[in-house]
Amino acid sequence: MTHASPSLRVRVGSLTLRNPVLVASGIIGYGQEYERLVDLSQIGGIVTKTVTRHARAGNPPPRVVETAAGMLNSIGIENPGLEGFLEIKVPVLRELPCAVIVSVEGEDVQEFCDLVEGVSGSGVAHAIEVNISCPNVGPHGLRYSTDADMAREVMSAIRPLTQLPLIAKLTPNVTRIADIAAACEACGADAVSLVNTFVGMAVDSRTRKPILGTVVGGLSGPAIKPLALAKVWEVVQAVDVPVIGMGGITHPRDAIEFLLVGSTAVQVGTALFSNPELAEACVKEIESYARRAEVPSVADLIGALDVPAERGMIRAGRTLAPR
Amino acid sequence: MNLVGCSVVENREIAPGNFLLTLKVPRGFARPEPGQFVHLRVSPESEPLLRRPYSLEGFVERGKIRAVRIYYSVVGRGSRVLASQPKGQELDLIGPLGVGFTPRPRRTSVLVAGGRGVAPLLFFARKLREKKRPFLFLFGARSSRELYGVREIRGGRIHLATDDGSVGYHGSVLDLLKRQWESGEHTPLTAEIFTCGPHGLLHEVAEFAAGRGIRCEASLEGPMACAVGACRGCPVPLLPGAGGNGGRYPAMCIEGPVMDATIVDWERLP
Ligand SMILES: Cc1cc2nc3c(=O)[nH]c(=O)nc-3n(C[C@H](O)[C@H](O)[C@H](O)COP(=O)(O)OP(=O)(O)OC[C@H]3O[C@@H](n4cnc5c(N)ncnc54)[C@H](O)[C@@H]3O)c2cc1C
Ligand SMILES: Cc1cc2nc3c(=O)[nH]c(=O)nc-3n(C[C@H](O)[C@H](O)[C@H](O)COP(=O)(O)O)c2cc1C
Repeated sequence: MTHASPSLRVRVGSLTLRNPVLVASGIIGYGQEYERLVDLSQIGGIVTKTVTRHARAGNPPPRVVETAAGMLNSIGIENPGLEGFLEIKVPVLRELPCAVIVSVEGEDVQEFCDLVEGVSGSGVAHAIEVNISCPNVGPHGLRYSTDADMAREVMSAIRPLTQLPLIAKLTPNVTRIADIAAACEACGADAVSLVNTFVGMAVDSRTRKPILGTVVGGLSGPAIKPLALAKVWEVVQAVDVPVIGMGGITHPRDAIEFLLVGSTAVQVGTALFSNPELAEACVKEIESYARRAEVPSVADLIGALDVPAERGMIRAGRTLAPR
Repeated sequence: MNLVGCSVVENREIAPGNFLLTLKVPRGFARPEPGQFVHLRVSPESEPLLRRPYSLEGFVERGKIRAVRIYYSVVGRGSRVLASQPKGQELDLIGPLGVGFTPRPRRTSVLVAGGRGVAPLLFFARKLREKKRPFLFLFGARSSRELYGVREIRGGRIHLATDDGSVGYHGSVLDLLKRQWESGEHTPLTAEIFTCGPHGLLHEVAEFAAGRGIRCEASLEGPMACAVGACRGCPVPLLPGAGGNGGRYPAMCIEGPVMDATIVDWERLP
C-alpha cells in the first residue's frame, strides 16, 4: 500500500476545488470578517452572504436565538445590494486565498438575471450559488424555493448569461425536494446545494411573545443534521450533477457522513460561530479518513455509503470504497 | 482580535447569582480597552451551541501572566454552565472585540452603572484613574449586596443608590444623575456620560442626556452569533434621522457594544 497523500480535489461543474470543504452563505460574511480566525488558504472556498439586487437593511431584532442543539435566525439578507457589492466587497474578495462562490437572490426573474450578469462581470466569482431557498425574505422567497416551475424559470433565464458554474441552493421546506433539484438540473444547474434552514419558531411563554422579531425564522445547527442528511440522500438519487451537502456539520466526522451519503462537497455553517477552526478540521479529517480507507482520492468516498440491499434502498454510490 | 485558549483561575459567586470569573489568557490576547468584550465558549462540550458575549470587568497583567475578569449573572443555560466550570478548566474565547468607551479630552466622565452593568465601568474607572482624569461614579442596584466593586473604585467621587434603601440614596441611579446635574456643577461642555445596565435604565439616561445636549455613550447587550460582524445577527435599531426607520442597522458586535446612546431607538431594542 502506498502512503501518498490522497487527492482531496473535487469538481463542481468547471470549477475544481482543492478540497471539498466550503463555508456556507451567511456565516462568514465576505471572508474578511473571519480573516484572523479562519485560515482560508486551507479550505476549499467560501460562499458569500447572499447578494440581492437592491441593498437590504435586514429584519428588526431579535434576529437570532439559540434553541435545543441549534439556532433560529431571521437576518433577512442584510447586504449592500449589487452595486454596493461590486464597489465594496469585490475588491476584498479578490484578495482571498480560496475559491469564492457568490450567492445571489432576486425578487423576480429580471433581478436574478441582473445579479448573475453583474457578479459574472466582476470576475471575482469562481461560481454562483443561486439562493432560491431563503425563508427570511417574504413571499417571493417562498415562491421560488417551493415551486419547480418557478425554479425552472429562474434557472433557464440565467443559464445563458454566464459561463460560471451555477449552483442551485435548495430549501428543505418542501414535500419533494428531488423534484426541485431535478428541475434545476434540467435547466442547466451545474450542481445543487442543500439544505438551507428549516422554518422554525421560538416562543417566550413568560412574555407570551415570539422571540424572533419576524415571529418565524430558519433553524440551523446540529439539530438539523439528520434531516439534512436525509434530504441530501433523496436528492443524490434524483440528479447526476454534484450535490453540495450541508446542515448541522458540527464535528469533522459529520463532513464525512455527508460525503458518504453522496455529497461532492460540504458546507460548514452555524457551528463555525462556536468553532472557527471547524472548516480546517473537516479538511484534515477528510484527508485522514481517506488515508485510513486507503483510497487514492476523496472522490472514492463520495456516495460510498454501504446500504444493505435488503433495506429496499438504492445505493447512492458511484464508487464504493474498498473495505 | 484572536481566538485564544484560556483557563479558569477563579469562578466565585460573590453575590447571589452573580459570579466573578478570572480567565488566564496567553500573550497572543491583545490588551483590551474598557467597554470591549470577549465571545466565550462557556463549556468544552458542544452544548450550548453558541458562544456567549461578556464585557470585560478588568484586565490583569503581572509579569508574563495575563488574565481577564468577567462579572456575570446566571440567567439561562449558558451562564449556568459557565457557573459550574471549576478552577483549571480549559475554555476558549475570541477577543478583544468591539468598540469601547471613548472619552473626550478635558471633560469629567460621569459613569452611570445599573446592577451588574457596573462591570465595564469598573474597568473604565481604573483606566481613567491611571490617566489621572476626573470622573464621577454613580452606581445603583437593587440592594447593598449587589453593589459589586464599590470598594475598589479609586480616584473619583462615588454616589450610591439602592432600590431598597439599604445603602446610599433610596431610589434610582437616574435620580442621582439628575441631582448631579441640578447642582449646576456640570455642563455639556465640561462633562459627558458613560452608562451600562438594564436597557430600561439606559433608555432613561439617554433621554435625559439628549434633552440637555449631553454627550452620552451606552454599552448595549443582546444575543449574538458570530460577534465579528459577519452574520448580522445583532442589529441595533437607530432613531429616524440617525439612519433609522430600518434604513441601516449597525451590528452591535463591531460598531458597538458601546454606542452613542442618543441615536439608539430604545423602543425597538429588545
Ligand atoms: C457585548 C455584551 C456584553 C455583555 N456583558 C455581560 C456581562 O458583563 N455580564 C453579564 O452577566 N452578561 C453580559 N452580557 C449578557 C450575556 O451575554 C447574557 O446574559 C448571556 O448570553 C445569557 O446566556 P444564557 O445562556 O445564560 O441565557 P439564555 O439562555 O441565552 O437566556 C435565558 C433567559 O435569560 C434572558 N436573558 C438573556 N440575557 C439576559 C441578560 N443579560 N439579563 C437578564 N436576562 C437575560 C433571556 O431573555 C432568556 O429568557 C453581555 C452581552 C453582550 C452582547
Ligand atoms: C445567521 C445565518 C445566516 C444565513 N444566511 C444565509 C444567506 O444569506 N443565504 C443562504 O443561502 N443561506 C443562509 N444561511 C443558511 C446557511 O447557509 C445553511 O444553509 C444553513 O444554516 C444550514 O447549515 P448549518 O446547519 O451548518 O448552519 C444562513 C444561516 C445562518 C445561521
